Amino acid sequence: MMSADIQTLLPELMLALYAIAALMAGAFMGKDRYAPLLVWVTGGVLVLMAVWVGSGTGAHSAFSGSFVDDRFARFAKVMILVSAAAVLVMSQDYMARRGILRFEYPVLIALASVGMMVMVSAGDLMVLYMGLELQSLALYVVAALRRDSVKSTEAGLKYFVLGALSSGLLLYGASLTYGFAGTTLFSGIIAAAEGGVSLGLLFGLVFLIAGFAFKVSAAPFHMWTPDVYEGSPTPVTAFFATAPKIAGMALFARVVHDAFGGVVSDWQQIVAFLSVISMFLGAIAAIGQTNIKRLMAYSSIAHMGFAMMGLAAGTAFGVQAMLIYLAIYVTMNVGSFAFIMAMERDGRPVVEIDALRLYARREPLRALALLVLMFSLAGVPPLLGFFGKFYVLRAAYDAGLGWLAFAGVIASVIGAFYYLRVVYLMYFGNEPDDREALDGAMSPVLWGMLMVSALAMVIGVVNLFGIEPLAAAAAATLVN
Amino acid sequence: MPLILIAILPFLGALLPGLMIRAGRTVCAWTTATVTAAALIGLLVHAPAVLAGEVITYRLDWLPQLGLNANFMLDGLGLLFAGLILGIGLLIIIYARFYLSREDPMGTFYTYLLLFQGAMVGIVLSDNVLLMLVFWELTSLSSFLLIGYWKHLPEGRQGARMALAVTGMGGLALIGGMLILGQIAGSYDLSVILTQKDAVQASPLYLPALILILLGAFTKSAQFPFHFWLPHAMAAPTPVSAYLHSATMVKAGLFLMARLWPVLAGTPEWFYIVATTGLVTMVLGALIALFKDDLKALLAFSTVSHLGLITMLLGFGTPFAAVAAVFHIINHATFKAALFMTAGIIDHETQTRDIKRLGGLRHLMPVTFVIGTLAALSMAGIPLLNGFLSKEMMLEEAERTIWSGTPWLVPALATFGALLSAAYSFRFVIHTFMGPERHDYPARPHDPGFGLWGAPALLVVLVVVIGILPAAVAGGLVAAASGAVIGGDLPYYSLKIWHGITPALYMSIIALAGGAVLLALHRPLDRLWQATPRPEAKVIFDALMAGVVWLARAITAGVHNGSMARSGAVFAVTIVVAGYAAWAGGAQAPATRDLLPLAAVPLAGWFALMLVTLCLVFWHHQRLVALILIGVIGLIVSVGFVYFSAPDLALTQATVEVVTVILLLLMLNFIPKTTPFESSAGRRLRDGAIAVAVGLGAAALTFALQITDFAQPSISAYHLANSKTGGGGTNVVNVILVDFRGFDTFGEITVLGIAALVIFALTEAVLASPVGKWLANRPLNPDKAGDAHPLMMVVATRVMMPIALVVGTYIFLRGHNEPGGGFIAGLIVAIALVMQYMASGFDWAAARQRFPYHGIIAAGVLIAALTGVGSWFAGRPFLTSSFGYFEIWPIEEFELATAMAFDVGVFLCVVGAVMLALESLARLARRSGVRPSPHAMDVDPSRDVTAGGQ
Repeated sequence: MMSADIQTLLPELMLALYAIAALMAGAFMGKDRYAPLLVWVTGGVLVLMAVWVGSGTGAHSAFSGSFVDDRFARFAKVMILVSAAAVLVMSQDYMARRGILRFEYPVLIALASVGMMVMVSAGDLMVLYMGLELQSLALYVVAALRRDSVKSTEAGLKYFVLGALSSGLLLYGASLTYGFAGTTLFSGIIAAAEGGVSLGLLFGLVFLIAGFAFKVSAAPFHMWTPDVYEGSPTPVTAFFATAPKIAGMALFARVVHDAFGGVVSDWQQIVAFLSVISMFLGAIAAIGQTNIKRLMAYSSIAHMGFAMMGLAAGTAFGVQAMLIYLAIYVTMNVGSFAFIMAMERDGRPVVEIDALRLYARREPLRALALLVLMFSLAGVPPLLGFFGKFYVLRAAYDAGLGWLAFAGVIASVIGAFYYLRVVYLMYFGNEPDDREALDGAMSPVLWGMLMVSALAMVIGVVNLFGIEPLAAAAAATLVN
Repeated sequence: MPLILIAILPFLGALLPGLMIRAGRTVCAWTTATVTAAALIGLLVHAPAVLAGEVITYRLDWLPQLGLNANFMLDGLGLLFAGLILGIGLLIIIYARFYLSREDPMGTFYTYLLLFQGAMVGIVLSDNVLLMLVFWELTSLSSFLLIGYWKHLPEGRQGARMALAVTGMGGLALIGGMLILGQIAGSYDLSVILTQKDAVQASPLYLPALILILLGAFTKSAQFPFHFWLPHAMAAPTPVSAYLHSATMVKAGLFLMARLWPVLAGTPEWFYIVATTGLVTMVLGALIALFKDDLKALLAFSTVSHLGLITMLLGFGTPFAAVAAVFHIINHATFKAALFMTAGIIDHETQTRDIKRLGGLRHLMPVTFVIGTLAALSMAGIPLLNGFLSKEMMLEEAERTIWSGTPWLVPALATFGALLSAAYSFRFVIHTFMGPERHDYPARPHDPGFGLWGAPALLVVLVVVIGILPAAVAGGLVAAASGAVIGGDLPYYSLKIWHGITPALYMSIIALAGGAVLLALHRPLDRLWQATPRPEAKVIFDALMAGVVWLARAITAGVHNGSMARSGAVFAVTIVVAGYAAWAGGAQAPATRDLLPLAAVPLAGWFALMLVTLCLVFWHHQRLVALILIGVIGLIVSVGFVYFSAPDLALTQATVEVVTVILLLLMLNFIPKTTPFESSAGRRLRDGAIAVAVGLGAAALTFALQITDFAQPSISAYHLANSKTGGGGTNVVNVILVDFRGFDTFGEITVLGIAALVIFALTEAVLASPVGKWLANRPLNPDKAGDAHPLMMVVATRVMMPIALVVGTYIFLRGHNEPGGGFIAGLIVAIALVMQYMASGFDWAAARQRFPYHGIIAAGVLIAALTGVGSWFAGRPFLTSSFGYFEIWPIEEFELATAMAFDVGVFLCVVGAVMLALESLARLARRSGVRPSPHAMDVDPSRDVTAGGQ
C-alpha cells in the first residue's frame, strides 16, 4: 500500500529531493559560482520530469485519495514543468549580467514547481494547502530576489502580506468546509454537498474561491499583481505570469469540480463574476500603462478572466476550453517575456513602451515576431490566441452564460487597444533619438524562445499541435 | 482547381517574390503576376458552371469540435468578388512594377500584396463564418503591413494607427456577432446559416448579432461614423490605395452584408440601420470629396460616398436594390481603380497631387487624360458609361423608398448625393486636365510608358463596354451574383441604357446639371466651406483616444495607488460582500441550540474585553500602551477559556501571552514609540466602517454557526473514550498532543526549533551588516534611562526562580492526566529564565547559562525522535506509545508512559527556542558605549556598607 502510494508520488518526491540536494550542494560547494550550471541542470530536470509525468497513464490515487494522479493533473503538470523550465533557462543570462543569479534561484523555482505539482494533484484540502504554501513561499522569496532594490523588496513584502491574508482566508474556508463536510477529502466533500450545500459549506466555498482568486490574480483580488510584476526582476515576472497561473487555475478547477461538482450553480455565479470583473479591469487598466511589465500584469489579469470564463461554464467542455486557453496563454507569454527581457539600452533593462518606437525598422524580424504575439494576445484571428478565446466563449455560451460571452467579446475589443498600441509604436511611432535606441544584442536563448513562440502562434492554427484531444480527455477525467 | 487551392495559392506564392527579387525587379513582378494569374485561371475554370447557377463546394474538417471547418464555396457572389480581387490584383501587380521606385524593396511589397490577396480571396470563398473571420482579420494584418510600407512618411503613421484601431475593433466585434449568429443557426457553415432566416430573425439575439456584425462591416467599409480612417490610410503607395481602398478591402464589408443579406435583411432594424447609414455616408462623403484638394483624398472620399451608396442599396432590403448594389460594385471597382491609377500616374509624373497646382494636363498627358476623363465621367453618371446604369437603378429604387413615412426624403437625398458626385467628378477632370497649361509643375509632366497606363486603360475599356452593352457583357455575372445575394428568384430588371422617360431619368438630369452648376460655383463655395467650422474626424478620433487613455489612467490610479491599505480595503469589502452573498443565498439551518443563560460575571468580562479593545483602537498610536492593552486582552481571553472549561487552553494562552509581550517589548526598543498619524479623518471613518462591517460579519457568521448543531458528529467523543485506554492519560488535550497527534507535535517542535535558529541566524547577519553598526551606535536617551537593574525586581526574580522551576516540573508531571504538559511547562520555565535576563542583566544571566540554547533545542528534538524510534523495537509504528503503572516507595502508585519522554522533548525544545529567540533579540539591543554593569544590582546595601566602612 505504502509503496504504491510512494510510486504515485514519485515525480514530486524526486523533484523535491533534487531541490534539497541542489540546495545542499549550493550551500556547501561554491555558492553562486555554479549558479549558471545549476540553472541549466534544473531546467533539464524539469523537462525530464515533464516527460516522465507526461508518459504516465491511467488514474491513480495515493494516501487514501488525498493525492490524485490523473490525466487532468498530468496535463497541467506538463504545462507547468515545461513553462517553468523555459522561463528558468531564459533568465540565466539576464540575471547573471545583473549579478542577481544566486544559486537559490533555480532551487526555489524547483521547489515552487513541486508545490505546483502537488497543487494540481491535490485530492484533499490539506494537501491542497500544503502545495499552495510551498509554491507561495518560494514565490515570495523570488519576488524579492533583487534585495538592494527598493521596488523589488517592496514587491516581495506586499506579495507576502497580501498572500498571507489570502492564505488565511483560504484556510478559514477550508476549516468551514471541513466542519460541515466532516472530511477534508474532496471525494467526501462532494458526497456531503449532494443535494445542496448548507450555509457553512457555502461560506467555506466562497472563502476558498476568494483564496484561489488571489492566487490567480483575479480581480478584485489582483491588487498585488501590477506592483509585483513591476518590482520583481523581469525573469521572475515572466515566471509569475506563466507556471503559477496554470497551477492556480488547475487547482481552482479541481476543487470546484472534484469537491463541489455537484453544486455547480452555487459557484458558477461567483466564478462568472470574477471572470467579468477581471476581464474588464485588466482591459481598461492596461490602456493607461506606459511600463510594459505593468501592462503585462494587467494583461494577465484579463487573460485569467477569460480562462475563468471556461471554468464558469461548469462543463467538461468548459474545463477543456480553460486548459487549451492556458496552454496558449503560457506559450504567448513565454515569447513576450523573452522579448521584454531583451529590451535594454546600454546593457540596462528598459521597460518603457515608448522605447519600442520604430523598432521594426531596426529589427524587422523581432518586431514581426512581437507583432504576431501581440495580435495573438489580443485574440485576433487567425492566430492561436483567437482559438483560445473562441473556446472559452463557446463554452460559456453553450453553458447558457450568453451574457458572459457577450461581455467577454466587449472586453476583448477594449483589450485589443493596448496590444495594438505596442504594434503601432513599433511600426509607426515617432522618430526616436539615436540615444534612445534599444540595444541590438539578444541572447540566443531569448531569441529562440521568441521565435518559437511566435511561430507556434502561426503554425499552431493547423491543429493546435494536437492538444485538443488531450485537453478533452483531461477535462473528462475531472468532470463527470 | 479545388477552391482551397485558389485561396491558398497566393499564400504559397507569397514565398516567391522574396526569392525572385534577386533575379531582378521584372522577374519578381512577373512571378507574382503568374501566381495571381494561376489563381484567376483556376477561378475562371469554374465560371461557366457558376454562371449556370451551380454552387461549387470544397469541404475539409479542421477543428470540428469548435465548428471550425475549412469549407469553401463558390457561388455567383463569390465569383464576382474573387474575380475582382484577382483580376484587379493582376493589373495592380503590373502597375506597381513601374510605379515603385528603385529604392523601394519590391520583394517585400509583393509578398505583402500576395498575403493580402490570399486573405481577400479566402473571405469571399469561405463557407464557414469562422474561417471567414480568420481571413477577415488576416486582411487587417496584411493591410497594416501594406499601409506601413512607406515607413518614412510621417502622415502614414497616423493613418495606419487609425486604420488598425478602427478595423481591428470592428473585426473583434464581428467575431462576437458571428458567434451569436452561428449559435442561433446551430452551425457555423454559411450554407446552413443562410437557410435559417426565420430562426435568426425571430431570435432575441438578432439585434445584438446584427449590431455587432454591422460594426465589423461598417468599420471595414468606412461607413459613417467610421468613415474617417479611409482617407488617412491613403498615405500608402498608390497601388495599395487603388487595390485596398477602392477595389477590394473596403468592399469586404459590403461583401459581408451581401453574403448575409438573405438572413439578416428585410427587417425594419436592418432597413433603418443600414440604409440610413449608407445614405448619410453617401451624402457626407460626396460633400467632403468636393472640397478636397488632394487628388487621392478626393478619390478617397468619393470612395466613401460610393460605398455608402451600395450600403444604402443593400439596406433597402428589396431584391431590385440588391441587383443594383451588385451591379454598382462591379462598376465602381472598374472606374475607381482606374481613377486611382490615374491619380498615381499624375503624382508620379508631376510630383504633386494637389489639384490647386495642377491643370492643363490635357495636352501634356493625352493618354492619361482620356483614361481619367472616361473613368471620372462614369463616376459622374454620364450615359454610355457603366456608372450611369447602376446610378440610374439606384435612383429608381430610391424613388420608391419611404423612410419613416416620409416619401420624399430618400429620393431627394439620393439625388443630392448624385449631384455632389457629378460635381466632384467634373472637378477631377476640369481642374486637373482642363484650363491653360501651367509652367510651375514640380516636374515636367508627360505620359508614362505603357506599363503604367496599360492597366487603367484596360479597366476603362471595360467601363465603356459595360456602359454600352451592359446585358451582353455583365448580364450573366450580375444575374449570378444577384441570385446568390437574394437567395431566391431574381426580380424583374433590365440592364440597358434607355428605360424611357422615368422619374429616375429626371433625377439623373437634375444631378448632372446641378453638378455642373455646383462646379461653376466652386470657388465661392470653397471659401464658404473653408470658413465653416466642422467637426474634424481625425481631431475627434485623437481626442477620443486621449480621453480613453485618460479615463483608463484615472480608473487605474483610483484603484491602484500602490497603497497596501487600499488593497486591504478592497480585499475586505469584497469578502464582506461575498460573505453577504453566501449568507443570502445559502440555506440557513434552524437554530437547534438554546442560548446560554446570561450571568453577571461573564457579562462583566465581555464588557471589559470590549472596553479594552476599544481603548486599544483609540490609543494604538502609543505603542507601549497598545502592547499593554494587548496583554490585557490576552489575559481576558485566557480567563474566558477557563470559564468555558478549557484549562489547558487557558494555561497555554496565559504563558504564550507573557512570552509574546516580553519579546514585543524587546522589539519596541528598535522602532519608534508612536505610530504616526497618516490618514485623514474621512479616511479613518471609511476604514472604521469597513472594519466594523468585517467584524460584525465574522461575529454574525460565528453566531450563526454556533446556534446550530455540528453538521458532523464531533471527534471529541472518540478522544474522550480512548484517551485513557489508548494513551494512558485522562488529560485528553495532552494525550492528543503527545500520542494521538504525536507526529504533528514532532513536526511542530522541529519547526519551532528551526524558527528560533532562523532568528539567531538573521540576528548574526544583521549584526554583521551595516545595520549592526547603526544599531550599536544609536544614541541613548538619557532622560528615560532609569535604573537598569532595580533592587526589588532582582530580588523578586531570584526568589521566584526556584519556585517557578518547581511549578514547571509540577505542571509537566501532572500534564498527562490533569491540565498541564510539556509545552506549558516549557513556557513557564522559559518565563522564569527570561525574568533573570530582564532583572539582572544579560551578561549576568548569560554567564550563568551553562548549556547553549542550540543544544537544548537539539536535545529536545532528539529525545522526541528517539522516543518515537523506540517503538520500532517493540515492533510498532513510529511514535506508538505504551505506558505502565509503577510504585516506588514512598511515592504513591504513578504512571509512566513513553509519551512522557516525548513530552520532555517538547519541553526542552520550547525552552530552548524561546530562550534562543530572546537571546538573539537581546544581542541586537546592546549598544556600544554602554558597559555591562559591574554589579548585578544597581543598589546593593551590602556594597554600600562595605564602601561606607572604608
